[in-house]
Amino acid sequence: MGRYLGKRLLISVATIVGIVVIVFFIVRVLPGDAAIARAGPYANEEKVAEIRDKYGFDDPMPVQFVDYFTGVFTGDFGVSIRTDGDVLEELLIRLPASLELAFYSVLMATLVGIPLGILAAARRGTWIDGGARVFAVFGSSMALFWLGLLLIYFFFFRLRWFPGPIDRLPIGTEPPPMITGFYTFDAALRGDFGLVFEAFRYLALPVITLGFVLAAPILKMVRASMIEALDSEHVRTARAIGVPPRSILFRDGFRNALLPVITAIGIVFGYMLGGNIIVEFLFAWPGVGRYAYSAIQVNDLEALQGFVIMVGILYVILNVVIDVSYAWIDPRIRLGKKVSS
Amino acid sequence: MSLLEVSGLTVGVEHSPHALLRDVDFTVEAGQIMGLVGESGSGKTMSALAIMDLLPAGIERRAGTVRLDGRDLVAQDRETVDRNANDMTMIFQHPRSALNPTMRVGRQIGRALEINQDMGRAAARSRATEMLNHVGIPGADRVARAYPHQLSGGMCQRVMIAMALACRPRVLIADEPTTALDVTIQAQIFDLINDLVEETGCGVLFITHDLGAIAEMCDRVTVLYGGQVMETGDVRQVFTDSRHPYTQFLFDAVVREADPSVEEKDVNFALQGCRFGHRCPYAFDACAEFPLLREVDTGHLTSCFLHQKENALGSA
Amino acid sequence: MSTTDPARHGDASGDRGRAARSGRSFEAPEIGGETVRPPLWRRKPLLIVGFMILTIFILLAVFGPLFVTDPRVIDTTNTYRPPSSDFWFGTDKFGRDVFARAVHAARLDISIGIVVAIAAMVVGSTIGVISGYFGGWVDEGLMRITDVVLAFPGFVLALVLVAAIGNSIPNVVVAVTVAYIPYFIRLTRAQVLAERELEYVDGAKLAGNGRWRIAFRHVLPNSMGSSVVQAALVAGWAILTVAGLAFLGVGIRPPTSEWGVMVAEGAPDIMTGQWWTALFAGGMIVLAAMAFQFIGDDLGTEEV
Repeated sequence: MGRYLGKRLLISVATIVGIVVIVFFIVRVLPGDAAIARAGPYANEEKVAEIRDKYGFDDPMPVQFVDYFTGVFTGDFGVSIRTDGDVLEELLIRLPASLELAFYSVLMATLVGIPLGILAAARRGTWIDGGARVFAVFGSSMALFWLGLLLIYFFFFRLRWFPGPIDRLPIGTEPPPMITGFYTFDAALRGDFGLVFEAFRYLALPVITLGFVLAAPILKMVRASMIEALDSEHVRTARAIGVPPRSILFRDGFRNALLPVITAIGIVFGYMLGGNIIVEFLFAWPGVGRYAYSAIQVNDLEALQGFVIMVGILYVILNVVIDVSYAWIDPRIRLGKKVSS
Repeated sequence: MSLLEVSGLTVGVEHSPHALLRDVDFTVEAGQIMGLVGESGSGKTMSALAIMDLLPAGIERRAGTVRLDGRDLVAQDRETVDRNANDMTMIFQHPRSALNPTMRVGRQIGRALEINQDMGRAAARSRATEMLNHVGIPGADRVARAYPHQLSGGMCQRVMIAMALACRPRVLIADEPTTALDVTIQAQIFDLINDLVEETGCGVLFITHDLGAIAEMCDRVTVLYGGQVMETGDVRQVFTDSRHPYTQFLFDAVVREADPSVEEKDVNFALQGCRFGHRCPYAFDACAEFPLLREVDTGHLTSCFLHQKENALGSA
Repeated sequence: MSTTDPARHGDASGDRGRAARSGRSFEAPEIGGETVRPPLWRRKPLLIVGFMILTIFILLAVFGPLFVTDPRVIDTTNTYRPPSSDFWFGTDKFGRDVFARAVHAARLDISIGIVVAIAAMVVGSTIGVISGYFGGWVDEGLMRITDVVLAFPGFVLALVLVAAIGNSIPNVVVAVTVAYIPYFIRLTRAQVLAERELEYVDGAKLAGNGRWRIAFRHVLPNSMGSSVVQAALVAGWAILTVAGLAFLGVGIRPPTSEWGVMVAEGAPDIMTGQWWTALFAGGMIVLAAMAFQFIGDDLGTEEV
């Protein structure tokens, strides 16, 4: 177990190094003059030269790389051209908003995907199964921005059930004091349930948009791994010894289908760490995705590369968490082989 | 009345005219071991799964009755078999994959006890350890807390047998219980099954492709070929006085290499007639019809027209 | 056990019930013994539906532009007309015909989807075979690189690539292709690893084939099945990715007729009630992606 974790961590560190290298390569080495891009379309020669100097673009590439590399690992992600602020600081301020959105979206996707997947596997070949499959295909071919627009049109513009795409809370509302950074949690911790309600109202449409799309891969994976588990020899044994159907479905089926399901949820969550640029832009959600969107609009590559590196690192950390949960779930990983007798 | 009576069991693949089992009849008596023997693909396991209602998806039972003590187990809708683990249970060929990989083996036995013997969880736990002891596992305490992947194949099969015992079945189906195990373990598993019959008086359907195992273990034997019963009777009758050409060749193949003259026949025996027709050197016109089992001696039946020829000619 | 047991293999109430309703035609003895399989539309209905939608889109992409007006024509007297018999999808704030734009966009979007899928498959499978069949440090290096690339969501990777190399249609195609290549590398490599242990590979060696020939002539064709399925799915996702980038103003930019661009241009109109400028283009994105998903999903499903 310890060795397994150690090896896993080593690979993760290597992957993070790789991420920094690749992002550096994409942003600095690929054709396109970074300084001109940074200076913007209206800058004169002097301005460009000044930027070259300021960011060290005149240095030889290896020197630039070493500077950048050591910077990232000492928490220096550079300075945003757009805001002149420290990129890492700006990202960290916005991260809780993104994570709250990601948390509820993945939660919704899981609450929809797992029961539907189990049901589809249990009723394989019936219309329920067919319906679940069509739902999954529909979800995986849905364009987030289009679904979001439809929801805004119907539930905000037409019905006024939910607030428009503005922010996390009504304009002028004081956010709860920061504890977790999740407004719903923080407001609940302070006992302000009116604020909790408001926070959920503002979360609703973006969460439904993302949850619908994210439910599809979870549903597919649950169905496939449930079918594999239910077709296994040990389920046949359970049936032979008279285990009741419900218990077979959950204890023998779902419990043994958990690993791929956890992986699917992890991948979906990882996808959410950066994949919400569209939704955050559409719903004016003040998270890292919208920060990245703003950076793109003015070619703020320093901010953009900070965002991408953060996404990559979060994803790698997430994978370590998933692997640890594997060990917790599967005794074949947790315990080595053989009880000798 | 036999303890378990299977008759007319017919199983096939959905959307296909081919039958995997055709009109299979056999019985299992209490306190006895019935051997089910045949080549691979002859339908031994399929018979067991059909009786247990464990057929895989895409394979369906088309006809047949399964009676336990005269009670018809095939449900009214004819789609399921109405049995519980107290009636019948089964142990499988690959003991490790037949156990749940994420459940401690003690718990798996305990679960069988809770379901089939109305035990509470705590009682089941200590009883499960006793049963592991009973099936000859040293250090039962420790093994009860182990997961299947930590145990050897032989130990897993003992665990399976303990689980089967926990069901207190009236009929136990053992599907090639030693095929995947070391030869040295075989005798121990056989002893366990023999002990089980003696202790509980249950009937055993013992599936194997090993004629030696049949001779050693069984009271009676049923020979399957291509999903059709060739011959059934006491082990002694079938072994020393085999009546069906297939059975005769089967035994010959064990003692010496024999190659019966095989002719191409004009009938598609896969669909009609005797399943052995295309390989049988004695096949004649009548073999294009399905041969029903006929008694040739007390308790000794065979499905071959050779033994009905005189009758048939006589009545013609 | 009862028929309502949900854990049954294949589910009694479904599979067997269906067999019962279909009249059990197989019981009639039939010499020759052909297996009576239900027709393709019964076994793979999604595949048929997917191909039908895709065919319509391809016809629209190839011939559609010949029949519609020039989508670039600005007509300030005809702004924000709701859908009517003159303007099937209405007109936008510049008075451009939304239907004409959507049809022209079909040509662009469908082509990009197919080109990306094929390019990513060809490059990815080639690298995957080399990685899987030859192994060693080449494999190790390639796998670490794909690990790194797969740490980014494909969308984010494509976004950064386009941001770095500049907005243009070819650049978007390259960026999105690069984002999807690792999936094919992984898939092909896994297949090749299983395939190269099989005995026909030993047979090919004994017959005197060289390593490259075995890798590409024997192992690769037998490892391509799941890649083709994946390519169908990727074609759909590529359309979604390209449109999503365009929606953010990255890659393909206005005034090009592209579905994502059209949704981006029409999005503010939603707030003033002109739903048609964004709705139809977005609907076509989803429909086109869905056609590919249906095809990939049904191709990838084992027959029960």
